[in-house]
Amino acid sequence: MFTINQREDGEVVLTGRFDASRVAEADAVLDRVTFTCRVNMKDLDYISSLGLGILLKTQKRLKTSGNEIILVNMNKLIRDVFRIARFDTIFKIEEA
Amino acid sequence: MERNFRKTVASLDEVFAFLDEEFARHGPDPAAAYALTLAVEEFFTNFVKYNPESDRDVTVGVLLEGESLIVRLIAYGVDAFDVTATGPVDVSLSLEERTPGGLGIHLSRHMLDDVRYEYEDRRSTITLVKRLRP
Repeated sequence: MFTINQREDGEVVLTGRFDASRVAEADAVLDRVTFTCRVNMKDLDYISSLGLGILLKTQKRLKTSGNEIILVNMNKLIRDVFRIARFDTIFKIEEA
Repeated sequence: MERNFRKTVASLDEVFAFLDEEFARHGPDPAAAYALTLAVEEFFTNFVKYNPESDRDVTVGVLLEGESLIVRLIAYGVDAFDVTATGPVDVSLSLEERTPGGLGIHLSRHMLDDVRYEYEDRRSTITLVKRLRP
């Protein structure tokens, strides 16, 4: 089960398992983001390389206009994935 | 235990459900389970992408061998394509230079103890090894 929603305050909330079969769903929401926004990962259990690729693509697009996505509430397992991929150097990661 | 899955990305939910059942039996810690799940997804989707010449099911098998949990993925009737032979990914590049290509292989190599590819009789086999104890 995976969900991605953008709240009224602009924050994007990811939950469940972000795998290769959810790329189109995630793309549809993240493509609409045009300003700096927080992506809340509190209830995200899993992200694979395809999910990382979608976040990377969004970050690249936003940075060209001086904006970015900020990742918040990432669990330890996902943080390890970000560390190994060195994505922790290209995304701002906040605890809450 | 092994099971066959249709060679499509839409099978991933069933593949994950199978892995969850097997991991519940064999008891890897959450980090080991995550690493194996991520690698299975990576190689399963690679079979879907790079072996379109066959629509035969992909076999996924899980077994405990000594202190290691082994997961094997087998694609049948396919040309040889060793995705594990790709070169290292430069993860030190800047955001502008980074591309997602090769990231799944990079993660699998770093999170697992061994990733092997074998090809025989038009059959590609990926073997993923995660030691459960140091």
